[in-house]
Amino acid sequence: MYGVTKVYPGDVVALAGVDLSVEKGDFVFIVGQSGAGKSTLLSLIYRGATPTKGQVLVGGRNVIRLKRREVAVFRRKIGVVYQDFKLLPERSVYENVAFALEVIEAPQKEIARKVSAALDMVGLSHKANSLPGQLAGGEQQRVAIARAIVNDPLIVVADEPTGNLDPDTSAGIMALLSDINCRGTTVIMATHNQLIVDRMRKRVVEMENGRVVRDERQGMYCHEV
Amino acid sequence: MKFRTIRTLTSQAIKSLKRTTSLTTVLVIVACVLALSVFTLIAVNLTVMGQRMQAGVELRVYLKDDTTEALKNALEKSIRSISGVTKVVYVSKAEALERLGAQLGDENAFFFDDMPNNPLPASFDVSVRRADAASDIADRIRKMQGVDEIRYGPELVRNLVGALRVMWVITGAVAVLVLVGASMIVSNTIKLSVFARRREIEIMRLVGASDVFILFPFVVEGLLMGILGAGIASAIVFVAYWAVSDWVRAAAPFLQIVVDSEWLLRAALGVVAFGAVVGIVGSAMSVRKHLRVQG
Repeated sequence: MYGVTKVYPGDVVALAGVDLSVEKGDFVFIVGQSGAGKSTLLSLIYRGATPTKGQVLVGGRNVIRLKRREVAVFRRKIGVVYQDFKLLPERSVYENVAFALEVIEAPQKEIARKVSAALDMVGLSHKANSLPGQLAGGEQQRVAIARAIVNDPLIVVADEPTGNLDPDTSAGIMALLSDINCRGTTVIMATHNQLIVDRMRKRVVEMENGRVVRDERQGMYCHEV
Repeated sequence: MKFRTIRTLTSQAIKSLKRTTSLTTVLVIVACVLALSVFTLIAVNLTVMGQRMQAGVELRVYLKDDTTEALKNALEKSIRSISGVTKVVYVSKAEALERLGAQLGDENAFFFDDMPNNPLPASFDVSVRRADAASDIADRIRKMQGVDEIRYGPELVRNLVGALRVMWVITGAVAVLVLVGASMIVSNTIKLSVFARRREIEIMRLVGASDVFILFPFVVEGLLMGILGAGIASAIVFVAYWAVSDWVRAAAPFLQIVVDSEWLLRAALGVVAFGAVVGIVGSAMSVRKHLRVQG
């Protein structure tokens, strides 16, 4: 990301000249107060938004120059996890995960194999037929993570994935994201959860008023004095 | 797109079509298409009647006094060879005078008493198939040798052609109104459909579904609404027209309305195709807008 500025209508500056480089296989926490620009930064990565100024390169491709059709194909290489899970309530756990492959018209056999593997990975194979409403919050987030990784993405972008979860459940989710990262997937996660950041000691990028104010390897949530 | 996908997406569209708002839209399309069909049928029938009336249009071609017999024969041959001319009758000077005499009646016969010689020219009465071609035919005849003057009812012809043109313009305007209005109604209904499934669409976009994949079920839903609405309307019109034409034939046979089952069937299919266009245009309008807004 080079010199990225994002201004929303009404002259709301979300990002102001952000430079950020993330290596393949990195695990990066984006921290900062609400309104610091964390979510905007994440949305630029999966092309949920385009910058007003500057360039965003993902896997060597300039995502701003992607044509509409290319954006869809590009997003298949990025898994996105949200605080509110974004599951389809009337579909079972299995169907929710399979949905990500169905919409890109993957063959049935491949869908069955990949969905089973993803549910195994998040430890929810036994709840494949349950509806999201029948699951606890942590389990729902696991389903969302399974959906994000089912297509073997290069990057998982997680926006406050533990925001609605208690500390124990959050720890489980973080262990899962850590596992995914260990398999070579880059994980970029925005969070407010100090406990998690301090415990994991991964790279920390702190944002304030749309600018990167700290970038530390094995950092803590707050700047160490 | 794979067949399996098309099947799945189409069944989604049918499921969505069963909602009350969709059925209301179908009924509105029925009403709009009914109005359009009635206008079209009136216009078609007036045109056919007009054509029949116009078949009687005649041109009177006056010949110069010095026209020889040979020239007259050549002229008659030339006029007959013009396409659109159905009949050519020669009226000699004497016959013309006789006709005038008959028109004026015996009480005005004195009018001819002092006449040294017959001032009326010989002429051809030329019947043409279509009134709107009369003016062109007259222009062609006018250039021929031996022709002095041509008279025909250009005003009447122009009025008839003009009236029909106005009728078709009105029908065209109704068609455009129905196309735009019905498309907008379909568009609004699809908007509700999109709204009901906005979460699903959001996730589809996040996991990399193509625009075609996202658009397809909504376009199919719109298409089905259009075809269903227009289909019901054309079935009603088909049956009603049949009944009305029977009744008109019995009550007012001189009206001679169009009753050609093949033509009516083709018109009904045209109406259904029109409905399909309404459906596709309407749904594409709202979904494309939605995708544009969502980026």
